[in-house]
Amino acid sequence: MTNIENAPTLQRFSAPTPAKPHRPFSVPRILAITFNTLTELTRLRVFYVLLVFALLLIGSSIFMAQFSFQQEFQILKDVSLGAISIFTSLLAIVATARLLPQDIEDRTVYTILAKPVPRFEYVLGKITGVLLLLAISTLVMSAAFLVVLYLREQAVIHATLSQMAGAPPEQLADALRAIRSSAINIDIFPGIIIIYLKACLLAALTLFVSTFATTNIFTIVVMAFIYFIGHLQATAREYWLQEHSSGLLTRVFLAIVALLFPDLQAFNLVDDIVAGTAISLALFIKTALLGIFYTTIYTLLAAFVFYGKEL
Amino acid sequence: MIRLLVALAILFAVGGIKLPMERDLATLHRQEHFRGVEFNLDLREKLGQLGFVAALSGFRAIVADALFIQAHVAWERTEWGRILLLFRHITTLQPRVLLFWDTAAWHMAWNASVAAMNDRTQPRLALRVKAQREYFALGKNFLERGIKNNPDRPQLYEALARLYKEKYKDHQRASEFYARAAAVPDAATFDRRFSAYELSYCEGREREAYERLRGLYDEGEQERLPTLIARLKFLEDKLTIPQDQRIPDKVPVGK
Amino acid sequence: MTDSPRRGRAEADPAVAVHSLTKIFSVPLHPARGIVAVKDLNLRIEPGEVFGLLGPNGSGKSTTLKIILGLVSPTRGRTEIFGRDSRLVESREAVGFLPENPYFYKYLSGEETLRFFGRLCGLRGARLKERINELLELVGLTRARKRRLGTYSKGMLQRIGLAQALIHDPRLVVLDEPTAGVDPAGSREIRDLILDLKRRGITVLLSSHLLAQAQEICDRVGILADGVLVREGHLRELIAIENQTELVIADASTQLVNEIESIINRSNAKLVERRKSTTTLERLFLEATTKNDDGMTKPT
Repeated sequence: MTNIENAPTLQRFSAPTPAKPHRPFSVPRILAITFNTLTELTRLRVFYVLLVFALLLIGSSIFMAQFSFQQEFQILKDVSLGAISIFTSLLAIVATARLLPQDIEDRTVYTILAKPVPRFEYVLGKITGVLLLLAISTLVMSAAFLVVLYLREQAVIHATLSQMAGAPPEQLADALRAIRSSAINIDIFPGIIIIYLKACLLAALTLFVSTFATTNIFTIVVMAFIYFIGHLQATAREYWLQEHSSGLLTRVFLAIVALLFPDLQAFNLVDDIVAGTAISLALFIKTALLGIFYTTIYTLLAAFVFYGKEL
Repeated sequence: MIRLLVALAILFAVGGIKLPMERDLATLHRQEHFRGVEFNLDLREKLGQLGFVAALSGFRAIVADALFIQAHVAWERTEWGRILLLFRHITTLQPRVLLFWDTAAWHMAWNASVAAMNDRTQPRLALRVKAQREYFALGKNFLERGIKNNPDRPQLYEALARLYKEKYKDHQRASEFYARAAAVPDAATFDRRFSAYELSYCEGREREAYERLRGLYDEGEQERLPTLIARLKFLEDKLTIPQDQRIPDKVPVGK
Repeated sequence: MTDSPRRGRAEADPAVAVHSLTKIFSVPLHPARGIVAVKDLNLRIEPGEVFGLLGPNGSGKSTTLKIILGLVSPTRGRTEIFGRDSRLVESREAVGFLPENPYFYKYLSGEETLRFFGRLCGLRGARLKERINELLELVGLTRARKRRLGTYSKGMLQRIGLAQALIHDPRLVVLDEPTAGVDPAGSREIRDLILDLKRRGITVLLSSHLLAQAQEICDRVGILADGVLVREGHLRELIAIENQTELVIADASTQLVNEIESIINRSNAKLVERRKSTTTLERLFLEATTKNDDGMTKPT
């Protein structure tokens, strides 16, 4: 602790920081908030609980060995991908819901915004932190899933090889081909990317809702509602645009649902991918673009509302 | 507050932009056989509240799998009615999973039918046969609907051909469906052969069968399997093909 | 003062200027029942001085500070920092803020906290490292730099808060209740730091309801009550009691004092009070509780 009374005449401690022109958009600033958010989120107990649950679920599919291998792989893939889907969606909502309210309640938002940081960059930093967290979770769960699938595939192959020891090579080749094709299907990867984009969309939407929500619970309840309605949006949309005989009130209601809510069904491609349907490049790109579009719009709206928020 | 209202207004406006994007995507989905669950009150009753919500929220595969496991249990208890019901739900939820159609048909046409035929509690043979044929029909129905939903894949055509061959002893239909399977990409290598074999059992179609089998034989070594050679030799005799046009192979032992 | 290249007109700018500031917090759905936090406030803080914004809780001090920092927008009027409107993000390049009861990220260490805030200000690499070391030294937290903030005492948190406010070398520092809830020793340290800042030419704007402490460091004060500025000016002038004089005499005999008293009684003046000079309770407390070099408390 500097002994003020005895110190010689004080000068500035070092050369003054040269006056830098203010940069209206600075990636290092945003990244500082991004990594800070990521660190904050990885301390959330919820994160670990969800991750462990997901991994357990994926691992438990090993006990499906009583079925034929096609049935077993089917169930393994459905359950694992379902786990990845629900847990990334859940994590997206739960982790994002508390981001802004927590900072405001703790007043850390004051220290951050008292620095020359535009509010937009603050929001952007927060959402990219969440997106990074979701990416890491998806990668971890996918890796676990693929490892389990690979191990089971190998086990079945070995069992088959020993059972069919004396069989003609063509038959053996057919059998192995059947096993391999029911196991890892290359289209699963784009399917997982789409699951990730759905989670990103939900995170951005949660951020938007949290900018005007009064409590955390409110945000989460609203998001649960949106999640449910979002899966019905496709039906509402088609009804609204095609049905001509419904009453005015119904049509207005359907119109509101169709316009206001995102079509979450569009991102559930894995069910059919696991069933063997191939995903074309056009479909993948269009779905991905839709996901990115939604995520961007919701982030911008969140920044817009936050900009006017009284702190 | 004002900002929030403006934001909502923007959301509506953006809604107008995204709507055509979503419709376009939905059309693409349908073309490529990606389908979601239709909002169906009937389905809700069948699946119950929780199952319905889960199916809607993007977990229809898991709901279908859960029902599939229940069907497995029902099979162990030989509850054929319940199996039938469950598979109806399962195939509604997951029409693109061939396994479900195939297993459903198998349970009906191969398992339930046999159980019906051997049913001790039914003394009259005629009624047992009737029940058996009903189960055949149910199995056939599953496969036909399965084919409608999966016209681009060979497996269900093959299954139906097998059903006609083994249960209905209808070689003509069997041949037809093996041929249809062969016409689809990724068909098994044996589909064309099997189609020709079945044809060779049909009264009055021997000539046609012979042409086909001979054509396959001429393609090369990979087609000259024992059964093919046996059938070819059988037809050569039946049609009294001149010696110089016959294949040089001998009839395989045991065929 | 900083050797900043932007001189000229900037020299004339006050550190903080508040022009006819009014802030009404509207109650949603009841537009007529807004809460008037600040009413028609005018203030001017010159560079290099320590200004205290005083007042009871709820008088509008915090709100005023937040408006100056651009965190809250005014209903009417405007505020400026070194000539730049508070609503512009760049106005905050020159100011550091320590909010009331700040709750920094508890899982970060002191060093990591400073690194985070430094990055937000655009500092990087070697320069950032240098600043972090300097500031930790200045606020006396060098030894605690690797410990998580969750383990810091309130006084230490305030000091790290001050460090983050200074990370980018601001010309103005705004402190909201800097010594609230801090024990006397910590309070003293913070006061010394503020005086140190003043010596370096940094303008300090602080708000407090701890008047005795404010009295020791402020050059000028403004007193807010219900959002209105009721008094403003140089501290000495404000608290001087016009017609009274104090003489503090050491080693005076009783006889001498009696003589002085009788001179006063013979004149037009009136003796108001005669008593022994007192130290402050604070000095007594610090002396009694500060450990000497052997680590033992000094005996009375």
